[in-house]
Amino acid sequence: MSPVIYYFLSFTAINILMCWAFYLPYRVGQLHHLVVSCMMASAYFSGYAARQWSWPFALTLLVGTAIGMLICLLPSFAIGDAPCFTVVIVGLTVLFIMKTAIENTRALGGTLGFFGIPQVNNLLLLAYLCLAVAGLLIYRIDNSRLGRAASMVFVDRDAASALGVDVKRLGMLFQIIAGGLAGLAGSLYAFLIGSLFPEFFNLGVIGTLMCMLFAGGHSTMWGVVISVPVFEGLHLILPTAVASWLQVIYAVTLIVVILVLPGGLITKKMLVKVGERFRARPQTVSIKGGIKE
Amino acid sequence: MEIFVAQLLNGLSLGSIYVLLVLGFNLMLVVAKIIQFAYPHLVVLSMYVCWGMLKYTNNMFLVVLASIVSCVIVNVAIEPIFRALSKKHGLDINVSFVVSISIALLITDVMSHALNYGFPIAFPTDWVGKSVLNFGLITFSVGQAYALIGGIAAVALFFYLLYRTRQGRVFRALSENSVLASIIGIPVVKTRILSYAIAGLLGGVTAVLFARLLGSASPSLGDFVAMKVVAVSILAGLGNLKGGLVCGLLLGIAESLAMGYLPGSWSNAIAFMMILIIMLIKPEGLFGIQI
Repeated sequence: MSPVIYYFLSFTAINILMCWAFYLPYRVGQLHHLVVSCMMASAYFSGYAARQWSWPFALTLLVGTAIGMLICLLPSFAIGDAPCFTVVIVGLTVLFIMKTAIENTRALGGTLGFFGIPQVNNLLLLAYLCLAVAGLLIYRIDNSRLGRAASMVFVDRDAASALGVDVKRLGMLFQIIAGGLAGLAGSLYAFLIGSLFPEFFNLGVIGTLMCMLFAGGHSTMWGVVISVPVFEGLHLILPTAVASWLQVIYAVTLIVVILVLPGGLITKKMLVKVGERFRARPQTVSIKGGIKE
Repeated sequence: MEIFVAQLLNGLSLGSIYVLLVLGFNLMLVVAKIIQFAYPHLVVLSMYVCWGMLKYTNNMFLVVLASIVSCVIVNVAIEPIFRALSKKHGLDINVSFVVSISIALLITDVMSHALNYGFPIAFPTDWVGKSVLNFGLITFSVGQAYALIGGIAAVALFFYLLYRTRQGRVFRALSENSVLASIIGIPVVKTRILSYAIAGLLGGVTAVLFARLLGSASPSLGDFVAMKVVAVSILAGLGNLKGGLVCGLLLGIAESLAMGYLPGSWSNAIAFMMILIIMLIKPEGLFGIQI
């Protein structure tokens, strides 16, 4: 496999994981930017553990996921049911604090970056295995009572609360799972790239992920499965001069999508219609050689 | 003690800039019901305009005018996007937040590609000015004096406009109830556009004062200031103008004190840590939400 295709497929898997990490809390109306901090912390931890302590890949992946969940767990006690803008600012604030801490820590390379993370065999396969497991988990959540409760909270938080939905616990649960997904993505990212720079984890990454989520469709988990490869593919298709303006393209796309297609490309309504078409085929009964509906 | 006084003066100058930014941000929030995350980015863009203008002319009046006009034009040009958004989604603050983040990204990327080849800009040393006060460790530069005095004057004018004029009453009526305001004959769209224009005017003035205070700017400055402005607004209580005044000043002072007593970039992290702790304890803000 050519390196271009390899990196395209690997980044697609990592970005889908990150978009799902954004998607889950947005089911209850929260833009949980804290997941980028989880990705950052997990990436640095995995890189450090693999290089300095020679930890095996599977163990760093597990601990990285746990770190992501832990980072989201602590603030979730306060912001489990907080308004969207508070959650956004908490996320951005933690990201900035974490970046400052890493930039000032010599053991993690500071502003110069952290290098020498060992390569892992079959990383692509493992990444897609992780993606499949995460996808299955989110699919199960979406089609469970939790998913239905989240849809209710998204539409009307007060009504959901009146009907007995514990909005805070639901928000906390989704935030923690999102942290785990971001932690997983962070660990995979560290092993894929082999070097880490604090500058990478900025508002641009958040904008890119939001663009992928909103363009694909924020009401279903399948939207990002289509939008992420398309946006990742832009790197490869566009000429270098245009590709350097990719952030502008993402930003304009996000604005246009929200104005023109508020639900994104794939909406829940669309999926329900497609499902009905496949499920409810007309029953046919044979009468004397002819066909009657 | 001298360090404390010096940093206190520094903090007051910085705080008055934050106050101006928070006021412009809150005006659009209460009147147009949008979270304009990109507002500080516009201010940084106006700083670039100032810098560009300074290259061609040393006329202070023209520099200030260019800064104000650019900020007003870009801010008013953004308004139709948010109007279309509110028609499509109703007054959804969260969606406006997402759109304004993308506008912020757009402005930052344009600055980092097209202006000064993405390099930070530095204003001439005489622009920042010599110190007007020297007492031991305490120095008070012309830039700091401009920021403090200009900030106080702009805030006083803003509050006069809001609480002592007919237009101010219109703004306040629209923030209280836009439906009732339109029933009694207030032109809602025109008033919203005017709020963008006034916020742009404040932004233009802030850009000049900020440029004189800092003496430099970079594309990433917008992200950095935007986080603080939105955080201060939430900390004060979204839409709470008086709360924003107090919290903006407090953040400026706290940041400057941290800068005086802590090494390097940790001072900013400490300021953010304070914001984070207060936000986690009191997510609805210290002075209550007023939207």
